[in-house]
Amino acid sequence: MSANSRAERTRPAQGARRASLAALTGKAVALAVGLFVIAGPLSSLIIWSVAERWNWPSSLPQVVGLRYWSRMLTGDFLVPLQRGVLIAVIVTVLALLFAVPLGYALARLRFPGRVIVLLAFLLPQAFPQLPVFASATREFYRFGLAGTIPGVVLIHLVGALVFAVWTMTAVFRSIPGQLEEAAMNLGASLTRTFVGISLPLAVPGVVASALLVFLYSLDEFTGTLLIGAPFITTLPVYMYTASIGYELQIASVTALVLMVPGAILLLLLERVLKAEYLAFFGQL
Amino acid sequence: MATRSEIYSIRGGERLLWVLLCAPALGVLAFAFLWPFASSVGTSFVREGTVSLQNYALVYRLYRQDVAFTLGVAAAGLLLTLLVGIPVCGLLRIRAFAPVEFLLKVPLFVPFVVVGHAMRIFLAPHGTLNGLLLPLGILDPDQPPSLAASWLGLALALAWKHLALAALLFLGAFRAVDETYLEASRNFGAGALRQTRDILVPMAAPSIAVACILVFASMLASFSIPLMMGRGSGPQMLMIDVYYRFGQHGDYGTASALGVVAYLLASGAALVYVRQLTR
Repeated sequence: MSANSRAERTRPAQGARRASLAALTGKAVALAVGLFVIAGPLSSLIIWSVAERWNWPSSLPQVVGLRYWSRMLTGDFLVPLQRGVLIAVIVTVLALLFAVPLGYALARLRFPGRVIVLLAFLLPQAFPQLPVFASATREFYRFGLAGTIPGVVLIHLVGALVFAVWTMTAVFRSIPGQLEEAAMNLGASLTRTFVGISLPLAVPGVVASALLVFLYSLDEFTGTLLIGAPFITTLPVYMYTASIGYELQIASVTALVLMVPGAILLLLLERVLKAEYLAFFGQL
Repeated sequence: MATRSEIYSIRGGERLLWVLLCAPALGVLAFAFLWPFASSVGTSFVREGTVSLQNYALVYRLYRQDVAFTLGVAAAGLLLTLLVGIPVCGLLRIRAFAPVEFLLKVPLFVPFVVVGHAMRIFLAPHGTLNGLLLPLGILDPDQPPSLAASWLGLALALAWKHLALAALLFLGAFRAVDETYLEASRNFGAGALRQTRDILVPMAAPSIAVACILVFASMLASFSIPLMMGRGSGPQMLMIDVYYRFGQHGDYGTASALGVVAYLLASGAALVYVRQLTR
C-alpha cells in the first residue's frame, strides 16, 4: 500500500486528475454493462408483468397497466401461495427440529459412523437431483405419498436438512467449548448443557438457518413438480404451468412475487451472512 | 476448522436419548434420498424383470447425441462464466467497487425457474432483447433470431445464474492472495488485468478448479432452466430426457440408466465434496 501511495504523490497533479477521470469513466462503463447484463433479463419480467397489449414489432408494449397484477392478487394465485407458505413453514420447523440435535452431535460427540453421516448429508448436494426425485416419486406412490402435502414436505426436507445439518454443525463448532466444559465440571449432563448453554448461544445461527430453509422450500421446483403433481401446486409450479401455456404476463407476475423473499433476505442479511450462507443461495 | 478438543462422550440412557434425537433426520434422508438413489442405480440394470444392460444399450442408441449436447452446453456455460467471472473478480479484488460486486451477487437469490422464465422472454424471437435491438435496424423484424431455443441461449442462461456462485468463490480465493505479491507486480508496472492473469489466477488455481468442477456439474444437472426455456427440436439436455422418459413414457429403467450416466458425469463434484470433508 505505502509504495503505491508514494508513487501517486510523486505523479504530476494533472496526470493524476486525468487518471481519476479515466477511472471514473471506467467505473461508469462497468456499472452500465453490469446493469444491462444483470438487470436486462429481470427487467423483461417487469415489462411483461404490466404489458396488457404487446404486438410485434414494437420495442415496448402498446398498452401498459396493472390488470394482470390485480387479477393475480385476487384470483387463483392465492391458493398456490398459501399452500407454498404452509409447506415452507412445516418444512422449516421439522428441518430445524431434526437438524439441531444432529448438528450438535456431529460437532461435539464422537460416535461410530460419524464421517458416514456427514458424507450421507453431502450426497444430495453432489449428485444430480432429478433422477433421484423421479425414483422417489415411484417409491412414494407405493406409500400413497405422491400428490400429497406430506410427500412434498418429505422431498423438500432432503435439501432443507442437508443445508440445516451442515450450518448447525458449523454453528455449534464455532461456539467456544469453555462454557460447556464449565457447566459439565459443575455436574451438568450433556443434555442439560446443550439445552442451557449451547442452544441459547446458537440462536442467531438457528434463525439464519431457518430463514434460508424457508426460502429454499418456497422456491423449490423440481421435487414439487414430480411429487406434488397433479394435486399440489406451489408458486414455482404455478409459474411453470402459466409460462408453458404462453400466459406470459401471469408467469411474469408470479416470477416477480417469487423473487421478493429472496431479495428482502439478501438486502437485509448481506452484511450478516457469511459466505457459506450466501453460497447456499446458489442451490435455489 | 475448529479445534478438536471439545469432544464429549456420553453413556447409557443419555446415549439412547441422543440416538433418538438424531434418528429423524437420518430417517428422512434414508427414505427420501438414499433409498431412491440406490433404487435408481439398481433398476437401471433391470429390464423386463431380468438383469441386463439393455437400458444402457437404449441410452447409447437414443441419447448419445444428447449426452454430447449436455456436455457441450455445460462446457460453453462454464467457459462464459470463466470469461466474465475471472477478469471481473480480478478487477474487483484490485480495485474494490461495491455496486458491481452487489450486482454480481443478485443472481444468487433469483430461483432457477425464474431465471429460466426471464431468459426465455428476454431471448425469445419476439422477446425483450430483440425488441430493444429493433430500432437499431440490425435485425429483420419478420425473422428475428431465437437465442432462447438455441444451445447458446441455454449456455447464457446457465452462465448468468452460476456467475454469482462462481464470483463468490473466485472473490474469496482472490482476496486470500497476499497484497504484497500484487504490490510487487504493480511496482513493475503491471495493470489490473495483468495482475489478475499473472498473480491472482495462478495463486488461486486450486480454488478456481474446485469452482469449475462444481459449476460444471450443476450445469449438466440443470433441469428447471432448460425446461422453462424449451427447445423445439434437436438434442435435449440430459435431465429433460430423464423427465420425459420417466413422466411420459413411464420407462423407469431407461430413465434410471440416463440418471446413472448423469451421476457419473457429475461425480467430479462428489469427489470435491468428499475431499473437503476428509481434509
